[in-house]
Amino acid sequence: MPTFEWKSKNQKRKICKALKFEVSHHPLKTNHVLFKKISNKGFIDDLSKWSAGFEEIDPLLKFEQMALDEDLVHADDEGIGVNYAKEWNTRRTIVLNRYTTGEKLTIVSSFLPGGEKISTFSALIRQVSNLNEKVKNRLEQLDDFDDDSVRKTMGLSQQEFVTKINMLNDEIKKAWESEQRVKAFKIGIQCSKLLSDVNVMHFYPSKFILITDILDTFGNLVFDRLCEKSFGQKLVKPVQDINPKEVPETARETCQNWLYKMASIRELLPRLYMEMALLKCYSFTSKEEIKPTIVRLTAMIRGIGNPLVAIYLRAYLCKVASKLLGNECSDYFYENLKQFIEEYQQVYHVAMKKKYEGQLLTLDKYLNIYMPAVDWLFFGTLHSTNCKETLLDQMLQQCQKMQNNELLLCGILSAFDSKIIIKRSTKILDMIVESADKMVLVHDVLTSLGEHLCASENCRQVNSETLIQTWWKIASNIRSTVHFLQVLGPWLQFACTNLSTQHVNIILRGTIRYLIKCGKSADEFSGNLQIVIKRMLGSVPDIEECFLMDAFMPLIELVQTTNARTLMAKTVLSTFFTRYNSLHIDDHIVITSLMCLCCTLHDSINAITVDDETKVCSELINKFVHAGTFHEDFEQQLNFYVECRSSFIKLDAVLVALVQKVNGLAIRAGDARNKWLQRACAAYCYITVPSLHCTITKAQLYLLSGQVALLNNCIGQAEANFKALIGLIPGIPEYILEDGQKKSTNVKVEGILRDFLSTLLVLPDNVDSNCKAYILSGLIKTMERVHWRKTDPRYYNTLLNILDLLSEMAQEDYAHHIDSVLSNDKLYGCDEEFVSVLDGYATDICQELLVVLKALGDNKETKKQYNLTLELFWRVIRRADLEQHSMLTLAANLWMLSKKIQDPNNKLAKSILSALRTSEDLASRQLLEKLEQGVQT
Amino acid sequence: MSINLSICLKRASKIYHEGEIIAGVVVVESSSDVRHEGLSLTMEGCVNLQLSTKNVGIFEAFSNSIKPINLINVTVELALPGKIPVGITEIPFEMPLRARQAVSPGYPGLLETYHGVFVNIMYTLKCNMKRSFLNKPLFTTCQFFVQYRHQERPVQKGVRCEMSGASVRAAGTVPHFSVFADLTSTVCALDAPVTGKIRVDECSVPIKSIELQLVRVETCGCADGYSRDATEIQNIQIGEGDVVRGRDIPLYMVLPRLFTCPTTTTLNFKIEFELNIAVIFEDDYLVTENFPILLLRCK
Repeated sequence: MPTFEWKSKNQKRKICKALKFEVSHHPLKTNHVLFKKISNKGFIDDLSKWSAGFEEIDPLLKFEQMALDEDLVHADDEGIGVNYAKEWNTRRTIVLNRYTTGEKLTIVSSFLPGGEKISTFSALIRQVSNLNEKVKNRLEQLDDFDDDSVRKTMGLSQQEFVTKINMLNDEIKKAWESEQRVKAFKIGIQCSKLLSDVNVMHFYPSKFILITDILDTFGNLVFDRLCEKSFGQKLVKPVQDINPKEVPETARETCQNWLYKMASIRELLPRLYMEMALLKCYSFTSKEEIKPTIVRLTAMIRGIGNPLVAIYLRAYLCKVASKLLGNECSDYFYENLKQFIEEYQQVYHVAMKKKYEGQLLTLDKYLNIYMPAVDWLFFGTLHSTNCKETLLDQMLQQCQKMQNNELLLCGILSAFDSKIIIKRSTKILDMIVESADKMVLVHDVLTSLGEHLCASENCRQVNSETLIQTWWKIASNIRSTVHFLQVLGPWLQFACTNLSTQHVNIILRGTIRYLIKCGKSADEFSGNLQIVIKRMLGSVPDIEECFLMDAFMPLIELVQTTNARTLMAKTVLSTFFTRYNSLHIDDHIVITSLMCLCCTLHDSINAITVDDETKVCSELINKFVHAGTFHEDFEQQLNFYVECRSSFIKLDAVLVALVQKVNGLAIRAGDARNKWLQRACAAYCYITVPSLHCTITKAQLYLLSGQVALLNNCIGQAEANFKALIGLIPGIPEYILEDGQKKSTNVKVEGILRDFLSTLLVLPDNVDSNCKAYILSGLIKTMERVHWRKTDPRYYNTLLNILDLLSEMAQEDYAHHIDSVLSNDKLYGCDEEFVSVLDGYATDICQELLVVLKALGDNKETKKQYNLTLELFWRVIRRADLEQHSMLTLAANLWMLSKKIQDPNNKLAKSILSALRTSEDLASRQLLEKLEQGVQT
Repeated sequence: MSINLSICLKRASKIYHEGEIIAGVVVVESSSDVRHEGLSLTMEGCVNLQLSTKNVGIFEAFSNSIKPINLINVTVELALPGKIPVGITEIPFEMPLRARQAVSPGYPGLLETYHGVFVNIMYTLKCNMKRSFLNKPLFTTCQFFVQYRHQERPVQKGVRCEMSGASVRAAGTVPHFSVFADLTSTVCALDAPVTGKIRVDECSVPIKSIELQLVRVETCGCADGYSRDATEIQNIQIGEGDVVRGRDIPLYMVLPRLFTCPTTTTLNFKIEFELNIAVIFEDDYLVTENFPILLLRCK
């Protein structure tokens, strides 16, 4: 039974003598959590220490890395200039990754287990010689091996092949270490022999890389041993430091022997490869011989009839030369390139055609096999030429003269700098036009030309229009759609940067025509098309213009499947928003187009879409929702939001944004003339919020919408929102899932409720209802029903806040108002009935709080109990009319309780006491006296 | 107790010219003291001739007459009977390489080392340790090589030839082809590669291989009867596959050591060399061209 009646103290706002005490924190200030950097870093360090174990590189890669580093160190020693080793290594990796095969491979070797015996077919011209069978020639033994031991292993997969090759590599090392040098030599020869086999052509570049690695190993073994012989144990000098005069006779003799041995290898290809591998050994006999030897080898490669084998042989020669001579080697690159051009027509030889067609390769794939080697030769040639322009002119002239110039053209385009290529772009394009129908690499050539043109955004092309026209003539005749789109990418970018929108539009129209005409569904090429579109969007000067082209949207909508459409929409939207830097989109066409894309994106979301995906989509759509604006046309703006709501109903995040935007709109349309709009907005929000899933968000939005409605003096709508909010309170879960983590809702709920309560102060009461303080009483009733634990801070804090509100509502003049809204102070003017209702509620709440105090005490939660006691005490002395004896007693009792629980020297208690002391109020003084008495006793 | 005897020449290449001094050490390695009855070193050089099996029938009558021809035989005493202490003992020696003074008819002087099939010219150092009655004598050999001194490089005698369908006398269908080969010189230096070029101008069938073959022609016997055999020394491929038409391909062959020597003619035998250029077509059809060459010791 209540032994007291709450009576709110009626304070004169104007005088404002209310009790106050200093607080340590600004109530509105957000809490900044400052992490100490040091500890933070330590944590990260710890983390990385633990995770280091997982990031360790693949042990196999590690060795590779080590070998690579070694090479690079050598290259670095050479100081300035090109790092050929590094370049080679990047190419090496690319080749190994690109040129793979699913075909079966064959390996012939006498040093590997398994496989079937074959009798080595030797083309020796025995007819001429009547060789005595008894006398076996030692030299022949060297390269014919023991005939019976040569085995052929067929049907190897690529992986098996690589394993075998690696086995051979190990075998060489093993043989070398066990002093079986001739065996190592033989393995080297056999390996290089494998390179004459072009049976699985597409794997050839990779095979070349693998085998030249072995040859390098062998070359290094020989070199290192000669070094050791010359300069003692474990002293490996780089080639540059070796002076043949310092080399002792024995080492020189050994070296000479190796050279003789190589020279007597019967077959041409292994002989050339082995000579190259051992080229650096010349530094032990006479260094002057290195360069002439390179020249000689360059000439001898002419003897290789197969152009593929020959050009890779040249590539290896150049690689060896570059390693030996550093920057001096560019002549040899050029020389080899020239030789290649001389034998260029061999590439197109009928015999080759038979071979690649036999392997089911198309001409373009076949030509692609040459690219790494051609590219390498060009790279070396160009690297130290000063007169690149003259060289380019020369090359182009040669191209013009020859038939089937596409491979060469491809090489030229990928090797030379954009700057000088662009100057001759018209010429090159004309050349392409001439033979476009015969070319199979036309797409590659055009693509790289296009890339060159794109690379020079700055220099405006005078003739870009003609260029584009000529290009289109060729491009529109490309047969393969994939190739067409590949070519389209750079050229469209070029057109975007250099030509007007109309031109781009024409190209887009052409593209649509092409895609329709090609007879296949555009979905097959959606990936390629996306790349093109992305490039275009990335390079268009003004991204909005894209949507103004009449061909843009149709092009995008060419793809039909949902999946492709979604991806396309996502690409377009994300590129658009990354590039679009103004805040608003006000062009109707753009808005409609974007709307369309957003719809596609939205429609793709279904029950099985992953959360992240949904999030990305929502973010994109939100950007659109935020950006779309119709300026002063509020009606249309609202219509836009209505349309958005109906289109993006599946995405909560978008709905939230919409509600916020609509609320913003309602505020913007603050004018009285727009009353209907404000109502419409309020209605919009009221209708939209329930469809959300998250209760907290709903509560927040109800509150916000109610506040906005209130601000616009739409009392009915505000009330409706608040009612809905109150209805939500019992249903708010204690924890919600946020980014997959459980998070307590306490703080949020308290914040919302506090905000709500302070709004309630200005909300005019519903006069039609027979209950005073209609909404508040509803809240109080809900609080009675709510299933929160009584000891939950959320519960009693809310009660405390309600208490605050109740006493504040009993005032004559409220602390804050909204201009156009008639609050209760004006409405009731401290009507007694109204006040007594409020006081009745206050008494109940006070009573409830005492119950909570007891519960806290029972639960031994002293700290909470203590805080609550002080809070309540403060409210009593601050808000209640202390002249009432019962209130005074209550205050005194509370104080005693707080003292009993904890030390009164607590900061809060102290400041409350000092505030009480400074108070001039009579009742306060009485209380103070009483308290002090109590303290003394 | 183990004794190891070895000869170690000062010159790593083991190549000596006439008039030079062959210097080196005889190394005796033993685990205990060695008592011996004298240590001697013999320098020996001889030509071994062998008749080819296909000719044996005809020559059987005088096959015995083909005896090794002795070129040099000098013995020096390295140590008098005595004791060699435990461990490694090196006994240095020097021997002049000089041709025999008293010239018998047909004595060719010091010839270059040559390893052939029917003719072998070999020089060896033999070290012999005589030991007491119960012990076996110890014996070791070491080959060394004799070369002529380098002479002036002779004037180059280039040779050119054309191989074509018309020039080939053969039955059946001969593919239409025309190949030009060009040898820089038929007089070749042993210490320089044989060079030249070859050009395929036309060829109606694909070429499989172009090869350069070095052949030795060894003649044994005397004016009355002799055997002449040509055998391959080495075969070097210079073109693989169907090479580009109308383009010079270099011919290049390093002459192998030991298996070649300057072209030699003596009373009892002859060593000559030839080069064959062979073009092999896809169907294994073969066209060859033969060039006798003269080898000289020069750079």
